[in-house]
Amino acid sequence: MDLQKRVAELRQYVDFGEADARCLADVRPLLAPDFARIAQEFYDKIREHEEAHAVFTGEEQIARLQRSMQVWLGRLLGGTYDAAYYAQTQHVGEVHVRIGLPQRYMFTAMSRIRLELVRLIVERAPDRAKATNAALHKALDIELAVMLESYHDAMASRVERRRALEQESGAIARADVAAIELTRELVVGVDDGGVIRLFNAGAEETTGYGREEMIGQKLVAALVADESRDAVEKVLADTKLNRFSVDGFVKTRAGKLRDVRWDVARTQIGNIHVFLIGHDYTEERALAELSRRSEKLAAVGTLAAGLAHEIRNPLNGAQLHVSYLERTLKRANASAEMLEAAGVIGDEIKRLAKLVTEFLDFARPNPIERKTTSLGALVERAAGLIEPEATQAHVKVIRDMPSKDIEADVDASKIEQVLLNLARNAVEAIAPVISNGGSGRVTLRLRRQPKAALIEIEDDGPGLQSENAPIFDAFFTTKPQGTGLGLAITHRIVTDHDGTIEVDSHAGHTVFRITLPLRGATENVS
Amino acid sequence: MEPALILVVDDDARSARTLANMLREDGFHVDVAVDGASAIARLTRAPMPSVLVTDLRMPNADGVAVSVFARSRDAEIPIIVVTGYPHLADRTLSPKPIVLTKPILYDDLSAALARVGVRSS
Repeated sequence: MDLQKRVAELRQYVDFGEADARCLADVRPLLAPDFARIAQEFYDKIREHEEAHAVFTGEEQIARLQRSMQVWLGRLLGGTYDAAYYAQTQHVGEVHVRIGLPQRYMFTAMSRIRLELVRLIVERAPDRAKATNAALHKALDIELAVMLESYHDAMASRVERRRALEQESGAIARADVAAIELTRELVVGVDDGGVIRLFNAGAEETTGYGREEMIGQKLVAALVADESRDAVEKVLADTKLNRFSVDGFVKTRAGKLRDVRWDVARTQIGNIHVFLIGHDYTEERALAELSRRSEKLAAVGTLAAGLAHEIRNPLNGAQLHVSYLERTLKRANASAEMLEAAGVIGDEIKRLAKLVTEFLDFARPNPIERKTTSLGALVERAAGLIEPEATQAHVKVIRDMPSKDIEADVDASKIEQVLLNLARNAVEAIAPVISNGGSGRVTLRLRRQPKAALIEIEDDGPGLQSENAPIFDAFFTTKPQGTGLGLAITHRIVTDHDGTIEVDSHAGHTVFRITLPLRGATENVS
Repeated sequence: MEPALILVVDDDARSARTLANMLREDGFHVDVAVDGASAIARLTRAPMPSVLVTDLRMPNADGVAVSVFARSRDAEIPIIVVTGYPHLADRTLSPKPIVLTKPILYDDLSAALARVGVRSS
């Protein structure tokens, strides 16, 4: 119950109302001159009592408590008894616990104060002494009740703390016991009947079970998962084995299985006959598994890359012989069909060569080499490089640059590759529309964002065929001659720069947005 | 002027021979070696070729070894590397070799030969 409710209940119980509050406030000026004296006499009296006096640390503390008492007397007759008032009263009870004042002194001390105040009221306000004293009794009793309550609460939490401390100090009394509680390994001891008698913190943490649940249970039934029960039971039953290891799944409270390697020692200490020290290697095993898998993947990648390189040799032979064939056919005035056939072979070889090169780019990317680079110059250069192809396809290249250049730490040749790739895609996307009499524009736009540079490659071509097409996946392509690696490489380069790339496309408007973080640049500014 | 002598080194013997035929048709003198060791052996004899066109990955001494040996005989000999492994080319050589990635177009090789200043008859 909260303080306010508690006090309201008490006030109602003793029937303490506004009239009582006013009575007390009215006599305060008459009694105030005596507050210091009352406090003084009160503490002087305590000095006479050995046990009560023993709680004080010295004169300084007594002087402080004496001042507190004067303040309290003022509050008591202050006429305002709100939540803040009782919070202070509550605090008094807590202080009593802190200084170790036995509760009996609280009551007897209050009795002394009460008698003195009653005497003063009768002496100085005889006409209203009856009502005022009744109010005083009620007020003081509420005081006592609140202090008692808070004393009790504070004492209870103190006892709790002490118990925890005692447990702790009991445990650290012996370093070896402490070590067992500190280790993350599971330490379990069982008696001659296979019943758990020791269950350390590590075992609690790994299994999710508390020792109060586990001690007294049969080890195998309680902890060992069905999958490894037979194996564990067998070795445990073999009394000829004094020191051995056994792997077994431990099932946790949550029903999970943990891989635990148990180091088992048969030795009798007290009622414990077998000690089991368990090492949970679930994560280690998972990590090892993962690294084995990625090694395998890397090996496959290396193999594929090696194969790709080696494909270039027969391709070279084929290419040279096609050139030779074309030359010979021309000299022999061969038909256009034959020359075209030879040309097709040549084109197919070029296509394979491109696939190999892009695959190698993708499978074995060179690490990026960052240098502070003018993005304006980079975009300008990409626009210049794409312009001849664009002009040939009747596509206009538009540069939309910021008023102030942006510098970023990037691998310039890689980002150039990205911009060229996207710009070339854009030109190729528009080209078919132009041949139908349309007009085409590709815009390269550079903008500054708070923490990044934004580069947009925009075109007014027909747009992506499907919005959800996995265009950044390797080997996805919509172009008859495409390798499906261009955008995958583009994506890889941008993400290697910790940047992002996204696309927004509908008929007549497609924009690829690249953001590149301005790490170096922003640090310089700040 | 005497036409330039080109040493073509490639372990793909058929391609090397076809390339040599085309180059001869275009008025060059051409010698062919089909592995690194025979290329080095050829380089010990006169006349010294005026340009080396070499593959990289070959049995019995690779293209890098052939290049280094060629430069030991003629510090200025132009080298054109034709390889499926362009990243393995020795770019520390000076003057730098021209690196062409397989498969090459005959015209690309012609252009490279023109760049290093060798001429046919």
